[in-house]
Amino acid sequence: MNTLTALLILLFALMLIVGGTTGLKSYLSVILNACLVILVALLISWGVDIVWVGIIFIPLKLLTIIYLGTHDYAVAKNSFITALLVSVTIILTIIIFEHFAQAAGFGDQASEELVGLSLNVGISFPQISIIVTIFSTLGAIAEASVAMSAGLLELKRHDPNINRTQLLHNGNQVGTDILGTALNTILFGLFGSFLPLFIWYMRLNYSLFDILNDKLFISESMIIIYSFIGVLLTIPLTTYLLAHTLDKDNH
Amino acid sequence: MYLNKKILVSLAILITGIILASICYYSTSWATRPVGVITSNHIKDELVNKTEDSYKNNDEIRQQTMKVKVLSGKNKGKTYVVHNVYSPSQAVTYKYRPHQRVIVAFVKHKAKVMSPKRDWVLVLGFFIMLSILALLAGRHTIMLMASLVLNAVIFFFIIKFDIIENGTKTFLIYGLAVILFTFVSLLLAQGLNRKMLVTLLATLLGVFVSFGICYLIMRLTHESGIKYEAVDYATQDPRSLFLAQALLGVLGAVMDEATDIISSLHALAKHKASLTIREMILSGRTMGQEIMGPLINVLVLIFMAEALPMTILFLRDNNTLNYTFQFALSLGVIQSLISAVGIVLTIVFSTFCSIIFLKKKARR
Repeated sequence: MNTLTALLILLFALMLIVGGTTGLKSYLSVILNACLVILVALLISWGVDIVWVGIIFIPLKLLTIIYLGTHDYAVAKNSFITALLVSVTIILTIIIFEHFAQAAGFGDQASEELVGLSLNVGISFPQISIIVTIFSTLGAIAEASVAMSAGLLELKRHDPNINRTQLLHNGNQVGTDILGTALNTILFGLFGSFLPLFIWYMRLNYSLFDILNDKLFISESMIIIYSFIGVLLTIPLTTYLLAHTLDKDNH
Repeated sequence: MYLNKKILVSLAILITGIILASICYYSTSWATRPVGVITSNHIKDELVNKTEDSYKNNDEIRQQTMKVKVLSGKNKGKTYVVHNVYSPSQAVTYKYRPHQRVIVAFVKHKAKVMSPKRDWVLVLGFFIMLSILALLAGRHTIMLMASLVLNAVIFFFIIKFDIIENGTKTFLIYGLAVILFTFVSLLLAQGLNRKMLVTLLATLLGVFVSFGICYLIMRLTHESGIKYEAVDYATQDPRSLFLAQALLGVLGAVMDEATDIISSLHALAKHKASLTIREMILSGRTMGQEIMGPLINVLVLIFMAEALPMTILFLRDNNTLNYTFQFALSLGVIQSLISAVGIVLTIVFSTFCSIIFLKKKARR
């Protein structure tokens, strides 16, 4: 048995034991999510318009993460709307910054891996880079909005008479907690994924100027920034939307 | 009043950011390579030829002709006519725009444009993020930024240490890194107290136990199917590099989850004095079930999206899906799986570590 299969089985068993039915659904959501990434790669390589791939797959991925990941329908609905709105804002931010940074495609460091591959493949790498960047941030946005909605609805459950002002105030507190931990997830996730690159910079004695202008460094750091802006926007928006919905329910 | 102060601070940060980004954009004083500016108002852009590679991918080779004025270095003040060959897909080449600032190199007295100057974009992005943060989190911003900076400093020294040891002693170096990162992040976020120590314990258990189990499985299956040669940008033993990556990758999510669960259970234990062990375990489990799916997906997306450009290129160059998966994606998938195992096990550790809160209560 190869390692990948063994790990897949281990994860399945653990999620089933710890999570029960919810665990099973979450497992499905993770597998589906990974398959969607591969499907996106396939579609783009077949020449399907990248903009359309984005328009279809971004909401689809949010749906799989949010609806399959949590079992509370009220949490899911609110999180989905928030995450979608935030994603649109972040996409616009990404498009503007990418225009100036021109950090798409492969870095100079990848030349060894690119040997033997044809690079003039007739698809737009700047567009691919926008898809990659938005995908990297989607998870963090979805997670923050689920955590936020769940936290606030929990408050409402314990104190059904909570009013709008109190909810907004409490939202702020729950939000600050989520911010700190979300930053860690994003930061260490990217430390992990780009460790070899940082070792490369140090071994080859890149100057600070070289690093700050390096394509891969900029694209990685910008992903941290977009993700974090995404999480930041998610928090007040979730609170606001939830307070609004609860208000409507009361009338 | 309070809100107004927040808006003022946030605006001040934004303006500082714009000023710093402009300085970064115009200044050449700290540049270690010659910087130039494209002075042409209109860049001549002509088709050199249309290409079709052996996989029937159609593309173009185009050439831009433009004037570049050098702003720093030996040739400061001189203007050169520069040619830039690019392809519209821009996988490794760039299409330049008029009046753009660029980094220049000289090959046999001929100027060549290497890449756009990008440093100012990062400065601007960072300060925009900081200003939104200040608006929403108020004075909490200082702690979050301190945590970010301190962790970056630790990361810097860990890499230095790794280079000195030349990629050996991976477990020692990165195990130490995990402990340091966790301690510093939690100390800044929560201060030194019992809750923080419990979170620290649960996080470290989560990282090391899950990594240990996964490593054991890797050894038992003889690490078959893991293509270490596909580790990107490896300047040292790719296997140890991959293990270090996996160890760091799992840490953030595990810490995130442990903090969430333990904070809530701590609040619950404080709120409800009659809480039993059974109720607490049930509560921790329910919360964990809710968080784990989205959290695993965060990492799956980070690790897989990163490999997407290479995956598309492989597929476009007529490689089979199987081959592409093995060489471009499988490492990311295995890394996600190791993290996922960590995330699931952390639910168990966090809940059991929280029982400490109960015992103290019962004794009173």
